Amino acid sequence: MEMEADMNTSHHNKGRQQPAFYALLVVLVLMSVGPIVLMLANSLKLDVDIISGTSGLLFLPTIQNYETALCDILPYEIDHLDYCALKFGGAFINSLIIALVSTVLTLIIGCMAAYALVRFRFMGRDTVSGTTLMVRMVPPAVLLVPVFGLWNNEFCIDKATWFGEMIRDTFGGRGDVCLAGTHSGIILIYIAMNLPFVIWILQSFIVQVPRQLEEAARMDGAGSFQVFFKIVLPLIKPGLAAAAIFTFRIAWNEYLLASALSDRDTKTVPILIVNNMSEFNIEWGVIMATGMLLAIPPIIFTLFASRQIITGMTAGAVKG
Amino acid sequence: MPNIQLDGLTKRFGDIEILHGISLEMSDAEFTVLVGPSGCGKSTTLRMIAGLETVSAGEIYIDGRPISHLEPKDRDLAMVFQDYALYPHMNVANNMSFALRLQKRPRKEIDARIREVADMLGLTPYLHRKPAELSGGQRQRVAMGRALTRDSSTFLFDEPLSNLDAKLRTQMRAELALMRQRVHKNMIYVTHDQIEAMTLADRIVVMHDGHIQQQGAPEELYKNPVNKFVAGFLGTPPMNFLYATIESQGDFTYLTGDGFSLRCDVPTLQRLANYTDGEICLGIRPSDLVFNPHADVTTSLSLRVDIAEYIGAQSVLICHCGNQKVMVELKSDTPITLGKQLTFSMALEDLHLFNPSNECAIPRLVDVEATRLIKTTGGNYV
Repeated sequence: MEMEADMNTSHHNKGRQQPAFYALLVVLVLMSVGPIVLMLANSLKLDVDIISGTSGLLFLPTIQNYETALCDILPYEIDHLDYCALKFGGAFINSLIIALVSTVLTLIIGCMAAYALVRFRFMGRDTVSGTTLMVRMVPPAVLLVPVFGLWNNEFCIDKATWFGEMIRDTFGGRGDVCLAGTHSGIILIYIAMNLPFVIWILQSFIVQVPRQLEEAARMDGAGSFQVFFKIVLPLIKPGLAAAAIFTFRIAWNEYLLASALSDRDTKTVPILIVNNMSEFNIEWGVIMATGMLLAIPPIIFTLFASRQIITGMTAGAVKG
Repeated sequence: MPNIQLDGLTKRFGDIEILHGISLEMSDAEFTVLVGPSGCGKSTTLRMIAGLETVSAGEIYIDGRPISHLEPKDRDLAMVFQDYALYPHMNVANNMSFALRLQKRPRKEIDARIREVADMLGLTPYLHRKPAELSGGQRQRVAMGRALTRDSSTFLFDEPLSNLDAKLRTQMRAELALMRQRVHKNMIYVTHDQIEAMTLADRIVVMHDGHIQQQGAPEELYKNPVNKFVAGFLGTPPMNFLYATIESQGDFTYLTGDGFSLRCDVPTLQRLANYTDGEICLGIRPSDLVFNPHADVTTSLSLRVDIAEYIGAQSVLICHCGNQKVMVELKSDTPITLGKQLTFSMALEDLHLFNPSNECAIPRLVDVEATRLIKTTGGNYV
């Protein structure tokens, strides 16, 4: 009887709430999609149109901004541009290299570390586990100055040594070979930054893998690495995907550290965009176009990775 | 089949010793059941044989070769887990072939082996399903199939039926018995269910508190338990225990307790000849009590019947003898009135006698003879 009454009220409430509920949904959708629509619209306008404020969605679309943004990798001559100042293509490739490599390395190191922390008993285990989270508490801005100093002055190979000479001969440049300004330098700091979180999130997934599965695999003749790669890893795929999305997104968006640690040849897209704003001229159209281009890889990556997130992966393994 | 031998197997977790030197020898292709209440160390023993737990002291021998330092994969054992432990990301065929694939056996051989085992267990229609799409019984069968494809010399079972519902358990028990007939391998089976132990085992090993209490054929253990624990553990409903004092009155000796007084016959007197204590514990199987209104008071118990549990052909009566609870198992058509004081007779040779201080059984004279005979002929009676 009581349940029936409950159902009645809830049904009643649902009916009454519907208009407000939909209004809320519309607001939410506008808030999340609005800026993207605005960016897309503006990226297809000329600067004149943007600034003059003849706003609205009625305008003659142009791909000029995209041409400007991609001038260094487009195979044809661009009419409206005398000189290709914006090296978006190069920066885009830099961003891809840095984000992908740092994501892959973070996941490889992270899943192994997480497995060890969960399954093995060793000295200093709790300390390691605790410090992984501690590192997360330090804001990247604090790291910036010391890392800049270290990358420029400490982790260098003297140009007088044969190895330093070889690198200089191959890649060119002056001075000692340092981490600063290289892809590796940025990748390294991104790995250090993301690793704690990845370890932490993967730990919670590994804990859920029933120990009996690993024991069964050991009885079936699997060694430690086979247990890890053939049993544990496939089962924590959703965790890996979530961690990958997170890591890739951070590495793709990161501005502060990349701006200090990259040089002209290794700068990433976020830095390029900001560099495009000078005090004399803000090329809104080009910024919007680069913004749109910047958004595409994470979207593709997220769509791809999120397909791996299937809940209930361990269902049916053991009787719950 | 290799011969498995445990020698003084001991397990400690920190300072707590939970297995106190288990020594056991299993015969060729024998179905050995380790049985005992939870926490008795039976699963730990099995896991030590499997190599999933380290050995604190003692040694495990397979064919005379010490193996306690070997990894599980080097021991040639297959194991069925209590919770099935099927790999959820692999289908049934891949679950069953996992070990063979690790051994890098040829594809054809693997396929043939899978088909053979799946056929035997009735799993052929499910080979491409994931474990999540199977019922409990089917999962259990896959778990067994995975062990069978291995073709190891020895199978270990860790309470494989305990997660199934009662009906399925009975069915799977029968299937296990059937498989047992077809597969001639060493099998070590752990369970807390004494019915499983009785029905499946060639040899039962009863464990309690990290010690082996008794081992032998099911019938042997049921008929001649060496102590009160084994007597009470095996058999449903469990054995009744009544405390009594030994009293001499005139020419006769009586076992007298709360609500009964049994007159000892000659074999019983001989049995008690070396027993000096005045107190004694009587063990009576519920099925040994027979409803007999005309029985003599010196060979019967007078019981007040409180509850009759109807099971079918048999009924279990829960009665009181003085202040002590007594269970009786009899045919359901026996005319019984609840709440009445009724007389149940018994044969004195069916009586089990225990020393209440150390709980050891006082054996029947025939059994003592038998023991001497077996010992001289080299049988392993404990």
